[in-house]
Amino acid sequence: MAQSSSSVSDAPPRGPIYEWLNDRLGLDWFLAFARKKTVPDHAHTFWYYWGGISLFFFVVQLVSGILLLMYYRPGEQAYDSVREITYAIDFGWLIRSAHSWSANLMVLAVFIHMFSVFFMKAYRKPREFGWWSGLVLLGLTMVFGFSGYLLPMDDLAYFATQVGLNIPKSLPGMGPIIEQLVQGGPDVSSVTIQRFFALHVVVLPLVFLGVLAFHLWLVFKHGSALPPSEEVKPEPQRRSIPFFPNFMLKDLAMWLFALNLLTLLAFLYPWPLGPQADPLAAAPEGIHPEWYFMSQFQALKVIGRYVPGMAGELLGIGLFSMGGVLWGLIPFFDTRKAGAARARAITWFGLAVVLGLAALTVMGYWEVWSVAE
Amino acid sequence: MNYPLWDVPVIGGMWVIGGIAIIHVMISHFAIGGGFYLPMAERKALREGRDDWMQVLRKHAKFFMVLTAVFGAVTGVGIWFSIGLANPEGTSTLIHNFVFGWAMEYAFFLAEITAAAVYYYTWGRVSDRLHLMIGWIYAGTAWMSLVIINGILAFMLTPGRAWLEVAGTGDEAARFWSAFFNPTYFPSLALRTLVCISLAGIWAFVTASRIDSYAQPRLKTEVLRWSVKWLIPSFVLLPFCFAWYLAMVPEQQLNLLELGISTIGQGTFTQVTRAALVTVMTSATIAAIAYLFAWRHPLDFNFGHACALLFLAFAATGATEYAREMLRKPYVVGDHMYSNGVRKSDVDRFNRDGYLTRSPWARPAERAGVAAVVTSGSQVEAAHLGRGWLMFRGQCMACHTIDGYRSMRRLLADRDREAIGSILTMLHEYKEDSTYRAYMPPLVGLPEEVDALGDYLATLTPKPGNT
Repeated sequence: MAQSSSSVSDAPPRGPIYEWLNDRLGLDWFLAFARKKTVPDHAHTFWYYWGGISLFFFVVQLVSGILLLMYYRPGEQAYDSVREITYAIDFGWLIRSAHSWSANLMVLAVFIHMFSVFFMKAYRKPREFGWWSGLVLLGLTMVFGFSGYLLPMDDLAYFATQVGLNIPKSLPGMGPIIEQLVQGGPDVSSVTIQRFFALHVVVLPLVFLGVLAFHLWLVFKHGSALPPSEEVKPEPQRRSIPFFPNFMLKDLAMWLFALNLLTLLAFLYPWPLGPQADPLAAAPEGIHPEWYFMSQFQALKVIGRYVPGMAGELLGIGLFSMGGVLWGLIPFFDTRKAGAARARAITWFGLAVVLGLAALTVMGYWEVWSVAE
Repeated sequence: MNYPLWDVPVIGGMWVIGGIAIIHVMISHFAIGGGFYLPMAERKALREGRDDWMQVLRKHAKFFMVLTAVFGAVTGVGIWFSIGLANPEGTSTLIHNFVFGWAMEYAFFLAEITAAAVYYYTWGRVSDRLHLMIGWIYAGTAWMSLVIINGILAFMLTPGRAWLEVAGTGDEAARFWSAFFNPTYFPSLALRTLVCISLAGIWAFVTASRIDSYAQPRLKTEVLRWSVKWLIPSFVLLPFCFAWYLAMVPEQQLNLLELGISTIGQGTFTQVTRAALVTVMTSATIAAIAYLFAWRHPLDFNFGHACALLFLAFAATGATEYAREMLRKPYVVGDHMYSNGVRKSDVDRFNRDGYLTRSPWARPAERAGVAAVVTSGSQVEAAHLGRGWLMFRGQCMACHTIDGYRSMRRLLADRDREAIGSILTMLHEYKEDSTYRAYMPPLVGLPEEVDALGDYLATLTPKPGNT
């Protein structure tokens, strides 16, 4: 592969500190290894960064989450502790805003990463496990979001969680399990916060870190996939850049841009805290889940209009489950051997999914805002 | 009397101006800095006999001309059109004082866009020396338009004692030059000139990033590195010029900034400080990316990086302009006219004779109506709330909307009629120690007018006791 000329001229960093570390840790070996790894350089390279951006937001989540842990008190005092963090503790508002905004940006980045992998056909052999572990990470990210949303226990968090839990609770046989295991009783309460808290700060991070390590190892092992438009090029016409320092620097630049975006949002639109949840009060009008659950929420509403009651919910959840399974099995449908016609059909299918999700999300917000007005 | 025409829901008139102005500043400052960049780069290319540079510069000149002459001109006119509609009293004050200034600015502007077009279209058709000269004419006239407009912009923050002495006498235009060379004129000119220079470099990244790293590595490296140098004066001198600027800002406005810094920990810091922090952060990122990529690894610098830097420059420009506008609070013309168009000298008169009889939002017949006392049935309430609505339009809507930006419904959400009345009383009395004084104008009018405003505002947040 042809290489960017800037990569050739980059001398390894040297200095007394480097030498001191090198003698003890063998940095030269790591550097030589990292320089040997290359990343393809082509018109679609931009999409390679989204995995790194997702990882960056996850790191922000970890750091800001640990800081929030120092003051957050789950259970009965949840709301008071978040109010204290937001209004009384110096820079608590900033840490909380950074945590909430980065959670949303992480979900967005993971979605973009998934679709870019999809459209670049990066799930094909030998990257099937990368695709599946990525889907697991997306699922975990969304559960992270859902479990974290309740923790401030303001009225929006309370009622949105209630709406969210009502969906699986309506499934036959699932109601009692959700009630006992997740909710800790017949209603969302301080016990639910304890359980969500445990899930959010212990269970999910442990599982997530494990799957993430596996996912990164696969990326490391197989490298970045070439999109079909590059694969057809003869080897000498393909270009690449060394992972270190060139791609890593570019990745770091993306992280810096992402940090700027996050800081802009946290500074200019600090995450709000609503009034304390009152289980006896009526739910605010137009209550809805977070944006990344909106398409599913809206789809259930639309299906419910044609197939009312339990049957509609079962149908909706059944369709989602089937869709998810099909999405996961894509690597088996769209192999290199399957031919160009099927590859094109899969691409169109992916576009239909993106447009469908976007349309349902817009429709969902449209209806919510119409009710609010 | 001026008659505002605009009632912009959700974003309010101020953000129509803000949106246009931020885009305009990004482009117009590039128009000035880029005006110097092009002839300097052309001179370098001619001296070194670099045809490859000339080809890049020609592309850049085309991009430059289309962007600045089309979008720059349209947004420039758009600003004045929108401020005339959103704040006619303030615009009227500017026109009555600076009509001569504007005439000069338009003369330079005309010369500037003519030179830009001639510069591009004569590329390769006239001698190198003549072409370069046209470039320098462009640069000179473009900078002169900044020299003029800067006087008017700086005047709004610091009109200066000499002008304030005659403000409202009808003799203001006699103090044109004092108003023009006001206390913040020179630091502001220095700051804007530095921003122009750095924006020239940042916009040049867009053209340079599109040079193929594999086909023309030397050219890309040279053009990018040369463009990075345009950021250096800014990053070295801006802190000093900014300190100079702040030294000229009146104490009341500085307090707003200091108040923001001291309350940052609690998250209640002022919007001026919030915006200033965004400027610092985005500027630091621009410097880091420009050094690490455009300078250290130019061949890895791509169009996406250039666009991201532009976005950051846009954020920095927007935040800085926003901070500058907010720094003027509670005035639109420092120490003379409040942000809602009420002149400081008119406050006592409005409190004595009433505000609504002079409300620019009411037609003459309506003005007579609001002055008349209605004594029967539901008409009483309707007329009373009507007066409240006119007070709101006249004195609040310059900065607030009902449901959108700085939404009154949201700001008053937890307050009952009594609490609303307390705030209005504070604003009306406008005591020296009132915290509102730092950024809000006084509420003027007769007690019954203030009462009508309170009742109208209470209708926005229906609660028991608010009707």
